[in-house]
Amino acid sequence: MVKNDTLSKDSQHILEINNLSISFFTRLAEIPAVMNFSTSIEPGEAVGLVGESGCGKSTVALGVMQDLGVNGRIVGGSIKFKGQNLSEIDEQELRDIRGNEIAMIYQEPMASLNPSMKILDQLIEVPLTHETISKTEAKNRAFEVVTDVKLPDPERILNSYPHQLSGGQQQRIVIAMALMSKPSLLILDEPTTALDVTVEAAVVELVKDLGKKYGTSMLFISHNLGLILQTCDRICVMYSGEAVETGKIDTVFNKMRHPYTEALFRSIPLPGADKNDRPLVAIPGNFPLPHERPQGCNFGPRCDYFIEGLCNSSAIKMASIEGNSKHFSRCIRTTDITWNLKRKATQTTDKTPPGEITLHVDSLKKYYKVAANELFGTSSEMKLVKANETISFDAHESETLAIVGESGCGKSTFAKVLLGLETATEGEVRINNQNIEGIPIEKRDTKTVANIQMVFQNPFDTLNPSMKIGRQIVRALEVFQIGESNEDRHNRMLELLDLVKLPHEFADRMPRQLSGGQKQRVGIARAFSGGARIVVADEPVSALDVSVQAAVTDLLMEIQRKEKTTLLFISHDLSLVRYLSDRVVVMYLGHVVELGTTDDVFSPPYHPYTEALLSAVPIADTNVEKQHIVLEGDIPSALDPPSGCPFQTRCRWKQKVPNNQCEIEVPNIKHLSKGHYIKCHLSDDNLEIMEPVIKIRN
Amino acid sequence: MQSLAWIEIIGGISFQLLPVWIALILTFGFSIYYKRRLGLYGKLFDSTIGMIGFAIVMFWVFSGIFAGIFDWIITHDPLHQVSGMKNKLPGTPMRGAEEGEYPYYLFGGDHLARDVFSRMIAGGTVVILIAPLATLFSFMVGITLGLSAGYYGKRLDTNLSFLANLILAFPVILLFYLLVTPEIRATGLPQYLTVVLFAFPLIFIAVLINTRFQTTPTARNIYLTLALFIVGWAYISVINQPESKITLFNSIDLFDIDGGLLTVFVSVVFVNSPTVFRIVRGLTMDIKTRDYVAAAQTRGEGAWYIMLWEILPNARGPLIVDFCLRIGYTTILFGTLGFFGLGLEPESPNWGATINGGRKLLLMYPTPALVPSFALMSLVLGLNLLADGLREESLRD
Repeated sequence: MVKNDTLSKDSQHILEINNLSISFFTRLAEIPAVMNFSTSIEPGEAVGLVGESGCGKSTVALGVMQDLGVNGRIVGGSIKFKGQNLSEIDEQELRDIRGNEIAMIYQEPMASLNPSMKILDQLIEVPLTHETISKTEAKNRAFEVVTDVKLPDPERILNSYPHQLSGGQQQRIVIAMALMSKPSLLILDEPTTALDVTVEAAVVELVKDLGKKYGTSMLFISHNLGLILQTCDRICVMYSGEAVETGKIDTVFNKMRHPYTEALFRSIPLPGADKNDRPLVAIPGNFPLPHERPQGCNFGPRCDYFIEGLCNSSAIKMASIEGNSKHFSRCIRTTDITWNLKRKATQTTDKTPPGEITLHVDSLKKYYKVAANELFGTSSEMKLVKANETISFDAHESETLAIVGESGCGKSTFAKVLLGLETATEGEVRINNQNIEGIPIEKRDTKTVANIQMVFQNPFDTLNPSMKIGRQIVRALEVFQIGESNEDRHNRMLELLDLVKLPHEFADRMPRQLSGGQKQRVGIARAFSGGARIVVADEPVSALDVSVQAAVTDLLMEIQRKEKTTLLFISHDLSLVRYLSDRVVVMYLGHVVELGTTDDVFSPPYHPYTEALLSAVPIADTNVEKQHIVLEGDIPSALDPPSGCPFQTRCRWKQKVPNNQCEIEVPNIKHLSKGHYIKCHLSDDNLEIMEPVIKIRN
Repeated sequence: MQSLAWIEIIGGISFQLLPVWIALILTFGFSIYYKRRLGLYGKLFDSTIGMIGFAIVMFWVFSGIFAGIFDWIITHDPLHQVSGMKNKLPGTPMRGAEEGEYPYYLFGGDHLARDVFSRMIAGGTVVILIAPLATLFSFMVGITLGLSAGYYGKRLDTNLSFLANLILAFPVILLFYLLVTPEIRATGLPQYLTVVLFAFPLIFIAVLINTRFQTTPTARNIYLTLALFIVGWAYISVINQPESKITLFNSIDLFDIDGGLLTVFVSVVFVNSPTVFRIVRGLTMDIKTRDYVAAAQTRGEGAWYIMLWEILPNARGPLIVDFCLRIGYTTILFGTLGFFGLGLEPESPNWGATINGGRKLLLMYPTPALVPSFALMSLVLGLNLLADGLREESLRD
């Protein structure tokens, strides 16, 4: 097959989607998932598709692949690939295009690879199916592509099975597989969501470079505006099944002309801005369900600029913005609204000064023993996993302490020890001058248990799906021995619902009837039900949509202020951490590598790991200039940690330390200023010359 | 009098079954009308397969109930032998029928001159009574052990799983033969097994109530005493048999269950519970990693509260489906046991025994064996279809 022969002269576009409508048919009704969606991708161009979950962005991608499952159907419009209408061609032609001319990369790398086939066999399958090519040629190409995706030791990687690779490596293989047949269009559906930030940064970097090298067009689907800014030329913002704004990245980011885009930007914390100068503004209300869409503008009920009778009278069309024929918006008030209006905080809240020490952690260690052989392990074969290594810090009343680090850094283990689900191996944890490090939760008294509570990460998993909301909160009250009678507790439960701003009717609802944000609010209400003094929030908003994140974050902060609780905020989202925390603990492989106030940690001198983390965070602001630091490789396994400094395998400053000291000994604590320390061998001179990672252009 | 033609036989049977038809129509009308409010049960009425299965199952349930309680439907005493009716074809008029007696043997007579139709319906009553109950008991045993094995893991899990494998590895039929052998029964082994297995529902209910009301001791004590009293008394009545190994509670023994029946019942529970155990154990191991279980742990809930109120309700989907399937297996198992003449009295109208009775003259007089065979097959088929429908509907929305 000769490629690109179908690309006729008159159609310049690789992909052209015209008024596409896709519906899903359930037993009750037709649910329109995508309505009148149009976009086009030129050769070599990268288009970003942004929107919240449920807005139909993945459906568009599946529509392009003609893979909508049994319930989905294209009900209107056309998808043209190189001028060929994809819904008109037959199965065989479609198979020739899929994987060959259009390749797709999914969110979960492990789910995209066949676990029972070696990497090499999976890779050469692509060209062997689509092209007449010899096996040796295919192998050579596989080797080439694997080198291109910057995997170390391609020979070994090609001969391994997927489970032998780390998440980052797997995603690189998936990318390599997509590139095997040199497709002209690459669809990436949230390709980095399952990865850690530093790994994500490296993968995004790779995708960008490869796009340039192979000249592939890309459709990049993400909910993360920062990622889109880094990778794409053009952006298309979707809301509730419709495209609401499209245009060049710069235009849309700086001169947005749709209230939803504006609201999205307002609800994400940007590192360049101060929280009083540019407060987070949550989008009020909820995302409309597909069968409950309002008349007229879908965003109408949540929009600040909504005008009765104008916005909700009839369906609103995409229209180009005056003075820019390539910038479209689905808003009829583009000319009336004063855009880019700076919003002052409606109410400035003074930070309550931190009070007494509520939590004292001193050289806490947690080791796990893992038998090398599950069945017949003897103590001599036991391996030691050092999940937490000498953690020390204090937390004060009404203080927010952020714990930052990637997966496997030991932050969850630390939370477990604190909550009593595990006991410490060494060191001490004191709450209100009471040692609790060795007391498992069954042996703790009710007061202690109620004092330390947790808000969980996944809102869809945090509530028991078969118990009413009210009952779940009442149960917590019963366990914490609050309230005299059932009636008492019922009233207290309603007060808690008030506290998290949920209507009282929710007490009788089942969790499945609630949205993610609402569930997370119930989780927060439950955590605070016993008057908790310390609340551990494990990435409480990372699984929520951006527009809801702001509201939940604000709520958490507000309750914290009211209750004077100590909040331990576990997160990898440094923008958010900077926005809300007072002090930051940076962890890597069980070690605290840096600790200090937020300002100290976010400005140089940094620990090299903090520096890399800061650089890895995608920032949705065109005025921010970032220093470019890409960490090589993956996080080492805690089973087999590197000698000396835990970070030495990936550190870019390692050469600056004489005598290979980094590989020999674990660095001591180095105090930089009062209450700010790092664990690093770097000399003061080297720390001096560090430059700020994030600079704001004016 | 003339024999009935096939069309008349069908008419006669349909008329005899009139109460069942009415009950079925009422059930379906009501269920379809309110199906949006009835949860998973209501969703069943969106699936044709599920509806067919449900109809077949309910047919046997209603006919079993009506025949068992009101003595409707059946035309003659299933144990009564009428002279001259031996090995008669369907629709044979009854010789010497008296006033008020049904004048025909609708499905003919068997080798002992009993009415095949009545025996089929009466056999349904036995199955409808025993199979779900035995399955329920297996579930209580399997759930109690499976939850703890899956939740605690480690040594307990290893031991219980080993035990389950041991039971599963033993040939079922051989086990039954052993348990019903008079010598073995004389040692009291089946009865001791009853003591152990029937204790699980007692434990299960007690723990259920205790964990739920733990935080309000007064309410807990009332409910617990009440439940323990009722269930405990029933337990004692079941395990206590005059003139057997356990006669300790003769004075408060409420009822006696036929020894053979009890042995069969216990054996079925014994062989079924390991499979349930495995399913529950697997589900528990999956569900215990969820955040809501962690949330319960961090507020200091007891292990049994977590197992029974946080994990078990969320495992219900697969368990309900398996429950339907397992009633089917149990029905087959009972059929097999009846066929071999194990446990139940030989002349009792259970389907297995009836098939065995009719098989000797199968070529000449097929009806006595075929009728109960089809009855057994249709009930099991109905249960399987019902399970399929439930599984399909619980996955869809």
